[in-house]
Amino acid sequence: MTPLLELRNITKEYRGVPAIADVSIVLEAGRVHAILGENGAGKSTLTKMMAGAVTPTRGEILLDGQPISLSSPGDALRHGIAMVFQETSLVPSLTVAQNLFLGDEKVFNRLRGLYIAAQQFLQSLNFPVDPTANVSTLGAAQRQMVEIARAVRKNARLIIFDEPTATLTPEEKHHFFELIERLKERNVSIVFISHALEEALAISDRITVLRDGQHVVTDDTAKFDRDIIIRSMVGRTLSSQLYDRHAGRPARAYGRKVLSVQNLSMGRLVRNTSFSVYAGQITGVFGLIGSGRTESFKVVSGVAKRNFFHGGIVRLMGQAVRYRIPRPAVRAGIAYVTEDRKTEGIFETMSIAESIHIGAMAADRGGSWLVSRSKMRELADRWSAALSIRSIDSNARVLELSGGNQQKVVIAKALVQDPRIVIFDEPTRGVDVGAIAEIHEIINKLADQGLAVVVISSYLPEVLNLSDRILVARQGRIVEEFAMDEATEEKIMYAAVH
Amino acid sequence: MIGILNRLLRRDGATVPSMDGVLRPNALLEKATVLATVAEPDNLVTVGDALVFSSGQGIFRLSSGGLSSLIYDCGAPVTALASAPDSSLAAGITATGIRLFGGAHDGLLLRHIGPRPARGPTALAFGDADTLFVCLGSAHNEAEEWQRDLMEQRSSGSVWKVDLKTRAATCIADGLGFPNGILVRGEGVVVSESWNHRLLRFDGTGGRPRPQIVLEDLPGYPGRLSAAADGGAWLAVFAPRSQLIEFVLRERPYCTRMLREIPKELWIAPSLRSGRSFREPMQGGAVRVHGIFKPWAPTRSYGLAIRLDHDLQPLRSFHSRADGTRHGLVSIQEWRGGMVFASRGDGVLGALSPDGLTLADAAQ
Repeated sequence: MTPLLELRNITKEYRGVPAIADVSIVLEAGRVHAILGENGAGKSTLTKMMAGAVTPTRGEILLDGQPISLSSPGDALRHGIAMVFQETSLVPSLTVAQNLFLGDEKVFNRLRGLYIAAQQFLQSLNFPVDPTANVSTLGAAQRQMVEIARAVRKNARLIIFDEPTATLTPEEKHHFFELIERLKERNVSIVFISHALEEALAISDRITVLRDGQHVVTDDTAKFDRDIIIRSMVGRTLSSQLYDRHAGRPARAYGRKVLSVQNLSMGRLVRNTSFSVYAGQITGVFGLIGSGRTESFKVVSGVAKRNFFHGGIVRLMGQAVRYRIPRPAVRAGIAYVTEDRKTEGIFETMSIAESIHIGAMAADRGGSWLVSRSKMRELADRWSAALSIRSIDSNARVLELSGGNQQKVVIAKALVQDPRIVIFDEPTRGVDVGAIAEIHEIINKLADQGLAVVVISSYLPEVLNLSDRILVARQGRIVEEFAMDEATEEKIMYAAVH
Repeated sequence: MIGILNRLLRRDGATVPSMDGVLRPNALLEKATVLATVAEPDNLVTVGDALVFSSGQGIFRLSSGGLSSLIYDCGAPVTALASAPDSSLAAGITATGIRLFGGAHDGLLLRHIGPRPARGPTALAFGDADTLFVCLGSAHNEAEEWQRDLMEQRSSGSVWKVDLKTRAATCIADGLGFPNGILVRGEGVVVSESWNHRLLRFDGTGGRPRPQIVLEDLPGYPGRLSAAADGGAWLAVFAPRSQLIEFVLRERPYCTRMLREIPKELWIAPSLRSGRSFREPMQGGAVRVHGIFKPWAPTRSYGLAIRLDHDLQPLRSFHSRADGTRHGLVSIQEWRGGMVFASRGDGVLGALSPDGLTLADAAQ
């Protein structure tokens, strides 16, 4: 049988440095192909070449056995290849329906008709998204759904997903996997990049592992297990102890109450929620998307504002505080490490040293207004060493770093502020397995040093592994609390759903 | 300025801190060994190896088999009790003052503490055999009228140091929101201020030492304090805070009218025991579902004992939840290696090991 798409000896070089070197892959129709690898392994570059977003330096791409040249994503789409990017390409100011039909508009558009068609189409995919909603008001998961729906609507024969499930809740993932099954039945090929190895093992038919731009292995999924994949990815034995429950440690004792949130309300997302955070331990916060977990801590850190009337009280070290912008919160010792580092956490084009220095400046710890380049670099070198940020030097741009190292820069930017409480929102999202272990170690060290640490995560093994106590959010409020030794995945999920 | 505006506009709403972390609800008080069932037990102290407590007008010693023997009849309800190293007792008596039993000052009756009438003090503690620390909960209401004092939002409580030899009284603090527990620590004292939900430490007892807040924002009204063997302390929280009560406290016209026109037992106010009358507030679906009392219901009464560490920070807590039967903990005392508590709301003297085990389990 002729493969749907074949990549032969593909190489992509940037300024003579290969990001992808001599990779060959065959994709068959109606099969799910997972591409795995650490951050910086070249997964995104490879898939972007399939989707026409990046032109290969050398090598050949064959579609239905015929060599093709893809000059743009639009060109690829015309050949039936669509890509759903990590950062969605939707227009935020348009509605869901308008985004779905973007580029296919008639001369005279009747919005009502557009909404009905979009509603029917979204329902057929089992996506609970309001077609009349503005995309800017949607959460990450719903944006992802719209993105997927758009690709499906274009009748693509090959759909490439870059981290499709990173922002989805377990229920939404279930729907997503069902959708993949339906697409397979329609003989559509799927390529997806994921850091969730269990998902790759569960839904893919074949797996390709890349390392440092090189092809390591491609084989049927049945021949892989978690350890084999990790070994192939990192080139060393990194056992599944990464998420080993507690690694035999006892829960840390309660320190002073650093943060007390009382009856906090913010629109419909946070509803009369109350909880406390203590020094010297890690408070894990779990909840499905829409449970208000992130929003509660955004209010605490001044990123979002609570209700003007009856919005509740936030007490930091016993003092009632009300931040309208993040800066006073940062000065008061609240550090928030965002879940969306690309848009909220870093300035991609700045150097590591500048990024970390900005963090210090926000907390008024940057010294005088005259910036000393040498001091800036000194600061960056210190934090790069402390957090093992791997780069050529501190002048390297954040853009050039892998996801794990970018996340470490965001963490350094927060820690340089000398905080009392550090809030990590999805600290290992889009981070490779090697960096996950390092970030977990950083988080544990902070708690051991006596800081109050909050870890918000939608990945249950991570919450269970890191936390000394676990708070569960549902429908805008904290509904349950578990001690470390009594928490199980089932109990937490039950509390999060029921 | 913003704080004042917030208060004027009532922007924050009525809020209470959550019972989580160290104060996470459990049902440990329900597992306690019942030492005795007594009407309104209060004021636990140890005299030598004996456990002494008050109930109504009498001061009793707990005997074996759960029996209690009357040792003093005070003629009026006893509001506070303290024992001295020389085994003498000081009792605060409603409408009378402070009377001493035994020891060098046997029979002494203090009708005034400084310029204030000593009618029904809320807490007593001996510094030594000749020094007594006294908490006067309110200058306006008797100790038994604590609900009225809260709903009137009084802050007229005071703490005094009395030299029993000369009867000279020194005011340590004044204008407190119902000081209701006192613990002597070193040269100073720690006082629980019920209506402000906090513990204050006064280093030194001469003049007016500056108070330091050692624990604040408690989810209930703190009451009596007692020392623990390892240098920590026990704190009895006699009633829970709730959003409804906080809300009513802010609605002054409503509150005033409620105090004037509604019987006391039906006030929207904290209680040592609630849920016994169908006429009480908060009886609907917020409290019961299909006839079953929700353990997490926002009731007006609760049972809570907090074990504090050496720095007076919560170490662990023992609860009797909304559906429990050990409400209104007014006093806690370590005795014979265990923790004894007085549940005034439910008329029980109970005992637990410090680990939260029943005494029988702990003995095994």
